[in-house]
Amino acid sequence: MPDHAEVEHLKIEEAARRNLAPLLDPQITPEALDLDRDLAGDYGLTSLNKVLFLTAVCEDTGVALSRFTERDVARMRTLRDVTALLSPDAETAETAETAETADAAESEPAR
Amino acid sequence: MESVINTIVARPPAPGHRLRVVGLDGSESIDLSELHAQAGRLAAHLHSQGVERGDRIGILAANSLEWVLLDLAALRLGVVTAGFEPGKFEASDELLTRYDLKHLITDRSAKEIRHLAETGTETPAALPPPPCYEPTDTTTLKFTSGSTGRPKGLAASVGSIDSSLRAVQEMFQHGPDDDLFVFLPLSLLQQRYWIYSALRYGHDVTVSTYEAAFLAMRQTQPTVVMGVPGFYESAKKHIEARAAASNRPLEQEARKLFGDRIRYLWTGSAPASAAMLRFFTTAGLPIYEGYGLNETCIVSKNHPGAHREGSVGRVLPGKHVLIDPDTNAVSVRSDFPVNTRYAYAQPGESERMFAPDGTVRTGDVGHIDDDGFLYIHGRADDTIVLDNGKKVVVRPIEEAMKASPAIAECVVFCPGQTKLVAVVSPSHEPPDHEAIAVHLAQTNATLERDERIHKVVVASPPFSIEGDTLTSQFKPKRSRILDLHRAEIHDSDRGIHA
Repeated sequence: MPDHAEVEHLKIEEAARRNLAPLLDPQITPEALDLDRDLAGDYGLTSLNKVLFLTAVCEDTGVALSRFTERDVARMRTLRDVTALLSPDAETAETAETAETADAAESEPAR
Repeated sequence: MESVINTIVARPPAPGHRLRVVGLDGSESIDLSELHAQAGRLAAHLHSQGVERGDRIGILAANSLEWVLLDLAALRLGVVTAGFEPGKFEASDELLTRYDLKHLITDRSAKEIRHLAETGTETPAALPPPPCYEPTDTTTLKFTSGSTGRPKGLAASVGSIDSSLRAVQEMFQHGPDDDLFVFLPLSLLQQRYWIYSALRYGHDVTVSTYEAAFLAMRQTQPTVVMGVPGFYESAKKHIEARAAASNRPLEQEARKLFGDRIRYLWTGSAPASAAMLRFFTTAGLPIYEGYGLNETCIVSKNHPGAHREGSVGRVLPGKHVLIDPDTNAVSVRSDFPVNTRYAYAQPGESERMFAPDGTVRTGDVGHIDDDGFLYIHGRADDTIVLDNGKKVVVRPIEEAMKASPAIAECVVFCPGQTKLVAVVSPSHEPPDHEAIAVHLAQTNATLERDERIHKVVVASPPFSIEGDTLTSQFKPKRSRILDLHRAEIHDSDRGIHA
């Protein structure tokens, strides 16, 4: 039986597939979307459509879009990236930066 | 005649209206009077560092409060800005040299800029008197695509900015209840117009990053959205999909995306499809299309007081549209031209675009109706001359074909200068030949005899970037498509016939 995290992950993936499919030309069914294909290069998703797509997935899954930074959005290149970053245990740029900053705090020169 | 630019540099706005800046990670808000004061303090600092009137500074940064502060500080000093869009330009010494920049300021300096603006001092000794710009003075360098791939640089005159802002204010009457929403890059001068407008005419303005555009609209509930056709096409698709999935009316989904306070949507910079314009109007969000080039600024605009479907509005005061009686080519003369030549361009590019008197050759074809509404038919390059002398502009025909859900793209050719042949890229694979045939018949029924499509070639595989039939901007590559389908285009037995 799948655990809670896995169920959440599958819900996010389903929402991502369902919201991406209607935005694409030529059309493709949600099930036929490849998790590892490049959203822009392979599926022709424009940057604005990507933002709209993420807005809709966040809304459907109850994830706050404000959890991410512009850098996180840039990192979401495939459906798998999107699903991974929207998962509750994902590391966003902000959390990564906090960790990096903590590591580098003593060695970074003042500007 | 009042100069908006001179007014906003000379005196602070009355308090009570705000600039909001929204990113994915948060938002902030500042009263416009405080914004003015902070820009003054930043200007004093820049001046203390030797930045003087006539110098040029580059700004290569995402939309932010610091971008706005730098722009206003530069205006206060008479310093010319060059706005570089991140992703299109890289910060380098070569960029500094190429555009004669005294400084190039990037996102990395944001903290320092904020600190200087908030805590610096603005004393009479620290700042020279506000500049009094002449209409031909320039405040900024804007960039437009060039024939060699390297953008052309065009210095924009104060007169052109002033006359555009005055005309827009007269048409749309932006006032205290308005909040204008900007998400396109501030490196585009016209996006900064709405900040100047807020300072001069007293209204709120919200600036967001590209990524936070839809989040920002929900948070701030703007009254006006400053967009482009691509943005509205994306929004349309989203609204349609959400409405279909939820069984809610389109109007409700549209308000959910844009907020409850929309007074109107602004679109320009590229041709908008009739279907998209009609969609938003039907969904209760009036949308007004206009026309202009970087070289002309805003030439015409539909607005609540004068709007005609299919047109790009009436010509603005101070702009004069000249239509060549033989070719229908559109040229634009301005009382206050943006400029009369490029500051940076390949040899001959200025002469091709600007006539000796500064009149701009737009490369578009169109007409003006009896009531003064301008209609743009397409690019002069899109015009086919048939052997009977009839001129056919193919873009509206292609747009009509693309209205079919079975057709993603359409490119029209005229192989024998007699009959039109369309190559369509299907929306689905396998293609729905029957739906395409039905739509061909419906489209032809609305067209003049010479404009009718004789037959359709269905591209297989569909157009794609990888197949080199679409540009990186997803526009069909006309000559490549012709090369690939030449045999079918010319073979009278193949294809779907009308």
